[in-house]
Amino acid sequence: MPDIMIIGTGPAGLQAAIHAARAKAATVMIGKLRNSAMYGTKVENYFGIKGEADGTGMLSAGLAQAMSSGAEHTDENVISMEYDGGSFKATTENGNTVTAKAVILAPGISRMKLNIPGEKELFGKGVSYCAACDCNFYKGKRIAVIGDESEAAASAELMTSYASKVFWVTKDAKASDMMIRKAKDAGAVMIDGKVSGITGKDRVTGLTFSDAPAIELDGVFIELGARSSSDLAMDIGIMPNTDGTIKVNERCETSVKGVYACGDVTGRPWQIAKAVGQGATAGINAAAYVKGEKNVR
Amino acid sequence: MVTELKDGTFDEFIDNNKLVLIDCWAPWCRPCRMLAPIIEEVEKDLKEKVAVGKLNTDENQGIAMRFGINAIPTMLIFKEGVMYGPLVGLMPKEEIIKYLMSV
Repeated sequence: MPDIMIIGTGPAGLQAAIHAARAKAATVMIGKLRNSAMYGTKVENYFGIKGEADGTGMLSAGLAQAMSSGAEHTDENVISMEYDGGSFKATTENGNTVTAKAVILAPGISRMKLNIPGEKELFGKGVSYCAACDCNFYKGKRIAVIGDESEAAASAELMTSYASKVFWVTKDAKASDMMIRKAKDAGAVMIDGKVSGITGKDRVTGLTFSDAPAIELDGVFIELGARSSSDLAMDIGIMPNTDGTIKVNERCETSVKGVYACGDVTGRPWQIAKAVGQGATAGINAAAYVKGEKNVR
Repeated sequence: MVTELKDGTFDEFIDNNKLVLIDCWAPWCRPCRMLAPIIEEVEKDLKEKVAVGKLNTDENQGIAMRFGINAIPTMLIFKEGVMYGPLVGLMPKEEIIKYLMSV
């Protein structure tokens, strides 16, 4: 069993892995580099950079650095977590499980909104951000799930048990093959389209696309990204703040013993400098925790 | 204390109280679980002014249908029997109190 599992492979998670692994804790990182907000960006305001640095390149180098320090990497999204009082278990989108003595949560903050016409106006009138919450209100109705990642796949599959017709709108499905197959087998119809707006006055009536014909609907579920950091935190007994952030102390400890958090998930500023600072703190303290040492700040 | 309401006790609760906040929730809904302690704090802070109730929409679908609820958590607000809002989704205590005091 690994000593530490790190959820998220952005700058916070990677820096935590570098420190934990160098402190000789058996460390596993779980996450996809492309899910980091740093992926595909240019970095200008981080220490030691001349001009612009390639965010994707920095992430790749950071991952290689963590692995050369001894950490392992699982290139998947985590879809659920459990805590049995002794160890923590994460289940990935391919059904793999990782069990560890300590957890470092570094999943970032998920973007929830599409920011398209009709979305804000029809929230609560057919627009939902939580299929698991609102599925019961759409029995026998026509709905669409929008999103490319594991959360959209799981929601599309879930909604087939309630709605009469389920469309899964995804321009480039990035969920695992297993999750895509499960959603399709359950009856979700995939639409390859770019959503341009949600229609309806007092209630959702449909969805329009910039590159496909409009469809008539009763509900739209916006499920972007992987499973949210709030959901994963609540799985293991941490109550997040209303904005989805997780409270930590100066050692990056959460309210649950053995669980640390770092990076954007702990709140603003959403900066690489803060993420790596907290990542180092979380990695050092988690390694000390699993070795039974007195925590080091 | 937050009063647990059912389809059958809902109207009486509104009739018997001048200003009412009702949290419509379901057990599997994570944002609802995050809102629950906030609703309890609102009740404590505004005990003298607002009667606070909660209604499980899974077990009381009649009220959910009557008010067209299709997203939870939804907070229904009534002042002297007249409905205001509703407030939909998870929100901080301060925003809920501000809205209640503005109706």
